Amino acid sequence: MTDAGGDADGDPDSDTGAAPGDAADDAAVRDGAAPGESGGSRSPRDRAFDALDRLVAASATERLLISGSALLLSVAIGFVLILVAGRMTSCESAAYSLLGIGFCYDPIVVYDSLFLGAFGDFLANPLNGQFATTVSETTVLVFTGIAVAVAFKAGVFNIGGQGQLVFGALASALAVYALSGAVSGVVGTLVLVPVGLAVGAFVGGIWGAIPGALKAYADANEVITTIMLNFVATSFALYLASGPFKDPESFANQTRTLPEFTLFPQPLFPGRTDASLLALALAIVVAVAVAYLLRGTSFGYDVRTSGIQPEAAEYGGVDAARTVVASMALSGALAGIGGAVYVLTIAGNFQTGIPDYGFDGITVSILAGNSPVGAIAAALLFGVLKSGSIVVDVGTDVPPELVGVLRGLIVLFVAMPEFFRMIGQRVDVRDRFGGSRDAVATDGGEEA
Amino acid sequence: MDTDRFDRRKFVKGVGAAGLVGLAGCTGGPESGGSDGDETEASTPAADDEDTEASETEASGSDTTNVGMVYATGGLGDGSFNDQAQTGIQQAAEEFDLSYDESEPDSVSQFSTYQTQYAQSTDPDYDLVSCIGFLQADALSQTAPDYPDQDFMIVDSVVDADNVRSYTFKEHEGSYLVGQLAGLLTSRSFSAGESSTAGDSTNVGFVGGVESSLIAKFEAGFTAGVKAANEDVDVQTTYTGSFSDPSAGQEAALSMYSSGADIVYHAAGNTGAGVFQAARDEGKFAIGVDRDQSVTTDYQDVILASMVKRVDTAVYNAAGATVNGEFEAGTATSLGLADDGVDIVYGTELGDQIPEDVKSEIQSSREAIIDGEISVPDSPE
Repeated sequence: MTDAGGDADGDPDSDTGAAPGDAADDAAVRDGAAPGESGGSRSPRDRAFDALDRLVAASATERLLISGSALLLSVAIGFVLILVAGRMTSCESAAYSLLGIGFCYDPIVVYDSLFLGAFGDFLANPLNGQFATTVSETTVLVFTGIAVAVAFKAGVFNIGGQGQLVFGALASALAVYALSGAVSGVVGTLVLVPVGLAVGAFVGGIWGAIPGALKAYADANEVITTIMLNFVATSFALYLASGPFKDPESFANQTRTLPEFTLFPQPLFPGRTDASLLALALAIVVAVAVAYLLRGTSFGYDVRTSGIQPEAAEYGGVDAARTVVASMALSGALAGIGGAVYVLTIAGNFQTGIPDYGFDGITVSILAGNSPVGAIAAALLFGVLKSGSIVVDVGTDVPPELVGVLRGLIVLFVAMPEFFRMIGQRVDVRDRFGGSRDAVATDGGEEA
Repeated sequence: MDTDRFDRRKFVKGVGAAGLVGLAGCTGGPESGGSDGDETEASTPAADDEDTEASETEASGSDTTNVGMVYATGGLGDGSFNDQAQTGIQQAAEEFDLSYDESEPDSVSQFSTYQTQYAQSTDPDYDLVSCIGFLQADALSQTAPDYPDQDFMIVDSVVDADNVRSYTFKEHEGSYLVGQLAGLLTSRSFSAGESSTAGDSTNVGFVGGVESSLIAKFEAGFTAGVKAANEDVDVQTTYTGSFSDPSAGQEAALSMYSSGADIVYHAAGNTGAGVFQAARDEGKFAIGVDRDQSVTTDYQDVILASMVKRVDTAVYNAAGATVNGEFEAGTATSLGLADDGVDIVYGTELGDQIPEDVKSEIQSSREAIIDGEISVPDSPE
């Protein structure tokens, strides 16, 4: 896995220890933890460190198993939560009974709806409305997920995905509307959809490059600047959508509705205008392309090295400042495309109160271990949960807040092992917190 | 850290026991009864003395009317608009053979999904889908034609479709009355509770939420009422840009009070809580909106009156008409003073202290509006 990108001329991983996302083998080299060899008489702290090492060294199959069991565990805990909540509310007849005690909410129905509801009646009609919702949610989240992942790879924490997405969406809606008078029909679709995406990418990219430049040249903390720029973006978009560019026909603060032909074609979902498998395909292509960009190009090399060890990267001839700006611009551009896709598939215009795709992108990225391709799977999990919670909300009495808790539990549990892995890779816990190191990598480490 | 004393098994046992006790101690549960009668196909709980009363309600038959409620973003518990709609459906559920299901979308883009969910549901088959709030209009105008056999209703907007009944309100009429109240009281020395008006004040305030033509109706009516009471009183107007930002409401109201306003009226949802707080801080008055906010909030001591908007009436009427088979789809109604759609209610604590001559003057305006003698503008000049 180490040299999968083919950087024969000095992949940084071999020098610096571990890069995010591919550290399974490298970390084993560094820490030399022999899996499963922890002695029985060791202190709990050492055992915890061993477990962390073990986690860092876990193979892909093991990680999948860990995620699976974490998912099951979160469901088990959620099960109890639903039962407890079902006792604390009042209802006329029990929805579920266990050991002779009646409960107001039925956990089995809840989880059935939460996971399977997202696919609707998939066997009877794979192209049903609920699945369409899942597809459209997933599509946008893939973009914001990769956006955060790219910045992460460069060692920059982009919390500004939401602002970049909002501006990308707004710019895309305005540009496409402005041009929609000039062309129409199939030609209009062929011209305006790419234009909309490009404008979204451009504006989102600019908005991402600003905190990047502030970090690179003025040493401003990007966490602060990106959060602040989120507020600027949402407020300024609200101003534009409620003032200069407001749809005069509508009560809502929104821009004019785009004509049908300017939207993403949805060849497969009849009657639904808000899901496009083409957009999803585009998201997947972009994810793969970004993965290649990071792994197989010199730009990706720069990004990853400055993410892992900025000083070493500088020494190796990487212009760290420029790399930070470029990766933040790329990150913002991806979030901006997400916004454009949101406008051109789901919304059909720009409307204030865009859901928190940008923030969810952070979780998607962590869930995926900052891997662009992994973001597809993580975004799908999010899409399923979002769409499924609508089914729960409509089909049961369970309050939406409780559904939110269940969703949060799942994400937390699935992301936690990955999160610990990231910590384990980056921080040498033993050096920092003490602990004996009796499994030393004298053998040069094992390739897992 | 001596870990030998820490026995994992004991810990797990303890947690388990505590959990069971906690579970058993929960006071609610199916037997205690409640208003949510909508989960109808519940299995009867197994042999449990307490639960024997929880009889299986036979409701899966076709004679029960099912209503799906899609609330506005912001959801239930807003103490205002959505809660008022819920009151209406709860009242209908009590009086008719009706069950309902509620859902709370959290973004505008979800409206069409929720509407579609109800429309295509066959178990249960919803007889009516209630869409609360004008933001649902765009989604509904796309959803409704796709489900021609499904009845919909929408509050606060007009959707032109054969299967949609639209309800809007003449907020300007109710706002006129509270405007008149503000104009009359600020022109004289009036004190009630801890608050008072200066007597020589020449302005009152209006705090709006997000600027839109809907909220503009409140502003227009209020201004007209103030001017009708006293031509010399000015109205300061601010829009905070949000329905859920009490601190912005407080800032706006504080600056109004400090520049001489005695009374501030808000049409800003939860932002209004800040207006009330500012009134209390400054020893001035405020006027509530949508519901009798001297009942639904903790600010009885500053709320002179509220402009109630009977969203509940609209929901109740639509549900009742559906039950009786009299639902008139494809029509639009604007509920004003004459239809009990809007009205003025005096505060529970301060209402009695408002002088009778003020109240009677407002009462005569009320009649004049109903009779059409006063025409209230619905947009600001």
